[in-house]
Amino acid sequence: MIQMFHVTKSYPGDPPVLTDVNLTVDKGEFVFLTGPSGAGKTTLLRLVFCDEKPTRGQILVGGRNVARIRAASVPYLRRNIGVVFQDFKLLPHRTVLDNVAFTLEVLGTPRSESRERVLRMLKLVGLQHKAESLPLKLSGGEQQRVVIARALVNDPTILLADEPTGNLDPGLTVEILDLLCEVNVRGTTVLVATHDATLLERYQKRVIRLERGRVVSDTAQAQTVRRTG
Amino acid sequence: MGGVAKAEVFWRSALQGIRHQPFPHAVAVLTLGIALFTLGLGRAGSLAVEHLLKSLGTEVQVTVWLRPEAPHTDVDVLSNSLRGRGFGVQLVTARAAVERLTRELGPSADALRGLASEALPPSLELQVPPAWRDPAALRQLADELQKEGAVTAVDWGEAAVERLGALARALRWGGFFAFAVLLCATVVVVSATLQLAIYARREEVEIQKLVGATDRFVRAPFLIEGLLQGVAGAALALVGLAAVLHWVAPELDTLFAFLRVPSPAAALWGIRSTLELLGVGAALGLLGSFLAVSRALRA
Repeated sequence: MIQMFHVTKSYPGDPPVLTDVNLTVDKGEFVFLTGPSGAGKTTLLRLVFCDEKPTRGQILVGGRNVARIRAASVPYLRRNIGVVFQDFKLLPHRTVLDNVAFTLEVLGTPRSESRERVLRMLKLVGLQHKAESLPLKLSGGEQQRVVIARALVNDPTILLADEPTGNLDPGLTVEILDLLCEVNVRGTTVLVATHDATLLERYQKRVIRLERGRVVSDTAQAQTVRRTG
Repeated sequence: MGGVAKAEVFWRSALQGIRHQPFPHAVAVLTLGIALFTLGLGRAGSLAVEHLLKSLGTEVQVTVWLRPEAPHTDVDVLSNSLRGRGFGVQLVTARAAVERLTRELGPSADALRGLASEALPPSLELQVPPAWRDPAALRQLADELQKEGAVTAVDWGEAAVERLGALARALRWGGFFAFAVLLCATVVVVSATLQLAIYARREEVEIQKLVGATDRFVRAPFLIEGLLQGVAGAALALVGLAAVLHWVAPELDTLFAFLRVPSPAAALWGIRSTLELLGVGAALGLLGSFLAVSRALRA
């Protein structure tokens, strides 16, 4: 689903943010991307959904080489990738229902079908009773669940989450991660960037650790080595 | 999504955008309104001058002075030739010329006592058709007539016609220049104002692009906003113009009464000018918004 080959990302005048990253994430996997601040986690996610282009190397997402993708094709790639950010990014003047429907509006889904799908998604995240509420009236956990609903409403094959629980208390953090796990069980490939070590302990998923832009450990590789060793 | 459904989404988004941020849009409408009002005034002035020139043009009279001894046949041939080219031709005999002068002098006609009844030369007075009412054409005609054997001189009011022509040219060029300056200034201001509006909605744009909106999808509602601003600005300008011209028209009637030509007030504004102004307003609004949103999408 996601493959990176010798990916390096640097900005003019600055040291590289990512250096020679090689990794593969298979379809249906749940992967934590961890490391200290500045390790390159966010940059790696941005490369996957084409918010940035690599300086060197190749990136395949769903079989497409996104390192060479034309600007006009980026929107179509993004329609298969759901993205969840730490700072929610909800539209304050639109209701929960309209915020989630925003994705479908962009995709050209008719309103009648859109409403049905949105309500189904809100039920999945446990917020069907808040459909007509404005985001500011929701708790942090509820807002993040709306964001997850918006990211999933068009059935993307990949979900990227950048510190999705960064602004939430521990109780809500678990709530959100449980939801992401449920999404993963339904078949979506999930990649979560986090520096919260307690989550890694609790959820026992594959962990790719970055330090200073390099992959220093990958529990999937460690397991492979142990199996073959 | 069909075209109609998409258009509905774009219009709804545009109207929502205007509703949530009325102030920057009001500023853009006011700016456009002032610019278009100035443009409209210039246009009305230009129309009035053109109307005056045309009307005065109907008064342009060419006098072809004839040799007293010129044979009638030569004069007839010349007259018929001129009539054939669309000129109105009136022969003023020498006697008729003296009688006319006497009438025009009125109480001062005593000064002509002792003047022979055919002291003045005969002439042909020509009414000039529209195609000939410009200095170059009249000069050409005068040169041509000068070569006729029966003709001694041709008087076509050269100085006045040249001056009117120069005035019309100056107004036209001045109008183009003013329009170009106004156009640039208006587009810059509208674009800057719309950039403020886009900046205020940058989160919405960011999310749209995140979930897979094409640039065209992002751009469309802002273009509609620009179009609406342009039309609203033009409507504002038209209201202002209607008020000013309503006041100006009677003044023009008085001002130009001495010329004894139809008042230019009637030519100040019409349906065509209204549609042109609305079109220019819409185009300016669209151009300004296109520049603003293109810049925002590149950023």
